[in-house]
Amino acid sequence: MATLELKSVKKAFGDTTVIQNMELAVEHGELVVFVGPSGCGKSTLLRMIAGLETLTAGEIHIDGQRIDHQPPSNRGIAMVFQSYALYPHKDVRGNLGFSLKHAKVDKSEIDKRVNIAADILGLQDLMGRKPRELSGGQRQRVAIGRAIVREPQVFLFDEPLSNLDAALRVHMRVEILKLHQRLKNTMVYVTHDQVEAMTLADRIVVFRDGSVEQVGTPLELYREPANRFVAGFIGSPAMNFLEAACQSEQVSLGATHLCKRVHADGDVTLGIRPEHLRVDERGQLRGEVQVFEHLGGEAFVHLLLEDGQQLVARLDGEHHMRPGDRCVLGVDPQKCHVFDLAGLRIGNV
Amino acid sequence: MRRVQDHLSSTVIHAVLLAWTLLAVFPLVLILINSFKTRKAIFGDALGLPIGKSLSLKGYESVMANSDFPMFFGNSLTVTCVSLFFILLFGAMAAHAVSEYEFKGNTFISLYLIVGIMVPIRLGTVALLDLIVGLGLTNTLTALILVYTAQGLPIAIFIFTEFLRSVSREIKDSARIDGLSEYRIFFEVVLPLVRPVIATVAVFSMIPIWNDLWFPLILSPGEETRTVTLGVQQFIGQYTVKWGSVLAALSVAIMPVLVMYIIFSRQLIRGITTGAVKG
Amino acid sequence: MHTDNPIPDYVKRRWYILVFLAPATLIYTVFAIYPIVESLRLSLYVSDEGQSQFVGLANYLRLLGEPYWAEQFWNAFKNNVVLFIMHMLIQNPIALALAALLSIPTLKGAAIYRTVFFLPTLLSVVVIGFIWQLILSPLWGVTPDAMEAIGLGLWFKPWLGLESSALVTVTLISIWQYVGIPLILFYAALLNIPEETIEAARIDGLNGWWIFWKVKLPMILPTLGLVSILTYIGNFTASFDLIYSIQGGLAGPNFSTDVMGTFLFRTFFGFQAQLGDQFMGATVASALFFIILVGVGCYLFGVQRKLQRYDS
Repeated sequence: MATLELKSVKKAFGDTTVIQNMELAVEHGELVVFVGPSGCGKSTLLRMIAGLETLTAGEIHIDGQRIDHQPPSNRGIAMVFQSYALYPHKDVRGNLGFSLKHAKVDKSEIDKRVNIAADILGLQDLMGRKPRELSGGQRQRVAIGRAIVREPQVFLFDEPLSNLDAALRVHMRVEILKLHQRLKNTMVYVTHDQVEAMTLADRIVVFRDGSVEQVGTPLELYREPANRFVAGFIGSPAMNFLEAACQSEQVSLGATHLCKRVHADGDVTLGIRPEHLRVDERGQLRGEVQVFEHLGGEAFVHLLLEDGQQLVARLDGEHHMRPGDRCVLGVDPQKCHVFDLAGLRIGNV
Repeated sequence: MRRVQDHLSSTVIHAVLLAWTLLAVFPLVLILINSFKTRKAIFGDALGLPIGKSLSLKGYESVMANSDFPMFFGNSLTVTCVSLFFILLFGAMAAHAVSEYEFKGNTFISLYLIVGIMVPIRLGTVALLDLIVGLGLTNTLTALILVYTAQGLPIAIFIFTEFLRSVSREIKDSARIDGLSEYRIFFEVVLPLVRPVIATVAVFSMIPIWNDLWFPLILSPGEETRTVTLGVQQFIGQYTVKWGSVLAALSVAIMPVLVMYIIFSRQLIRGITTGAVKG
Repeated sequence: MHTDNPIPDYVKRRWYILVFLAPATLIYTVFAIYPIVESLRLSLYVSDEGQSQFVGLANYLRLLGEPYWAEQFWNAFKNNVVLFIMHMLIQNPIALALAALLSIPTLKGAAIYRTVFFLPTLLSVVVIGFIWQLILSPLWGVTPDAMEAIGLGLWFKPWLGLESSALVTVTLISIWQYVGIPLILFYAALLNIPEETIEAARIDGLNGWWIFWKVKLPMILPTLGLVSILTYIGNFTASFDLIYSIQGGLAGPNFSTDVMGTFLFRTFFGFQAQLGDQFMGATVASALFFIILVGVGCYLFGVQRKLQRYDS
């Protein structure tokens, strides 16, 4: 177990800055998820922690030791890759033990650690197989096992589930969570999938264009997103954004007053999560049904509001609507978010 | 109706393919069967099989007795194998360097190394002969090996580079985290990875070397360093009247390639068709 | 404030890049690039009492201006052009047709056919040349007998020995041998066409014949370009082996099969009364270099750029 600290970390390729002034402190045993759209710099940062990319400026410390001038193998980290990165010519046992063998660890010690990892991940029956004889999920287990065997201070995961199909991804997500609860290691996990981020993370770091938009626990991000980007990124289906106006602390959509107590004046953006809308004859939002998607237990209705804006609402599976139907939705003003034109969230009074 | 039509067209297709098959193998079969015949049978009944009275191994006996064929064969084998080894090893190393590392001049060096695909090395023969003479390498197998290695490198580097660019870099990163040096990454990770294309590269490089007439003729025509191709060329030039020997010599020259091809054709063609050779 | 970090030692010492590149670059530079560049340089010199003397483009003017040289040069060039056109019009269409048939998914025995079709390509040109020389020889009588059998006996001629037919005959032998290379390239390209594209065309109502012309052919155009340039380069350089082994360095009868390769060989090494001249040899080689450069240039800037559209 260890802490991980990034101090003023910066990365530039020529004139393009991909990471600017990153400050982050990861606690003992914490699982931190880097999330963001592709190209936001999250993978680059992870590779910098691993030592696969150099730092343009700044320092990285693990357990108080500065490690950014060390080669990858001396940093006390292990990394699990998206493509599994198994050695195709070695069997499972060979893959698991490879790094230790290279580090000239005792044969008996290697066997011990390999067997422990195999037990944890249920790989005992597969030890003699080559990677090409394994399924995607099994390969990913081997990749994780290879990281466990190294007994690193920090685990790094680079989109480890992206190559798996949807069902397996959910399954492996739970496995990784169990693994973290069992090993209690410090872990940094990169993904572009906000569901993975929400379910796995102790803390989430939301990236965008090389800088951090917000750091917080999953619920903090969900309830108090710092800005429109984070609000739109966390939650599925994504938050609705409506153009609204604010006058004397009153936010209104056309003639409809929606919520109060906001320090702003003029045009603002109103954010409402689809799951916070409900069918309510006396509600504030009226419109015409355009598309109705029924998923069984729940349903999504796509609404064209009277002022021409669009809205998605998540309803329970009891509802039935047809395109062209009129529909009135209500929302709890407490659950509305208000953003200024720069996208920053405006707090309640 | 439909089925009859399908049947008909499939018959036509097979007829066309069989016709070309005949055309492709007929000359070879003709030479092979006649090489086992008496002179009388060669001229009297060229298409007959060598059975009974017409069977004769005289041609082979005289080839083996009067010539240095085994030596020529050894020369060809040495030149081809050693050149191939260098082409594959150095080619893979260079391809690894340009596809894996970012460094100044990377684009330049990778273009420089493959420009030789388009410009045949033969065009430099005049200066090349000067160079080989200057190095004191005339009539040595070393000269041929060096020239063939230089000739084979561009296409090998091209195919290896294309292939390595398509290989995930994560596996190399993973090895780095495991603490392997860059050299060991190449030998223990990259080389096993390129194994599937090695067959393709080997064939592309090997055929022109084994069959080449130009450089053996110019750089090492001496008796001691003659390759099979040059040896056969000179042998049949001398003995055009001894038909049995000539046919036997031709058979001896094609047999090894024939046998190799029959054994490896499956992998070889699969390597070419599924390998890195994309337009 | 943090200043920019110095590059860590483990990244800075990247000698291994040099180690990986050095052997290939060294051998290739010394034995491939240097000789070509040096030959280009030599083409600007003449031998003057054992000393080489710079004469600018005089050798090229001689090559194209003096009747003795110009006649041989243009004769060889013309023959090469004939060779190239015949390969393009006969070899490549045959290769494409055979590849199209081989790539029919339901075809039985495709593996055997393609193995056989590629076989002649593997064999030494010397052997191939001599085999055909024997077969076509009036002495042996295989061909006359065969033609007699199908009633064409009177049509037999010693084609390789006649000035009028020698070049065409040699070219046909070359086509017979080398059809395997374009064949396998076309075949690979045809196999790479996704099955869905073909199925979509079938649903659009196209039959096999039209699918080939309207769907498959446009998709393998890049390969067609590649095959063309390979044919072009091979025709100007590799044709030496076959002609030298069938017709000898004099490319007989009466130079009717002379190509740039044999011309270069004679110029460099001399023949009969004429002594070899390395400077004129370098000049011929350099002229050949520029001819190939023009072809490759056309391919890279014209054909390939146009064809790229179909790539995606």
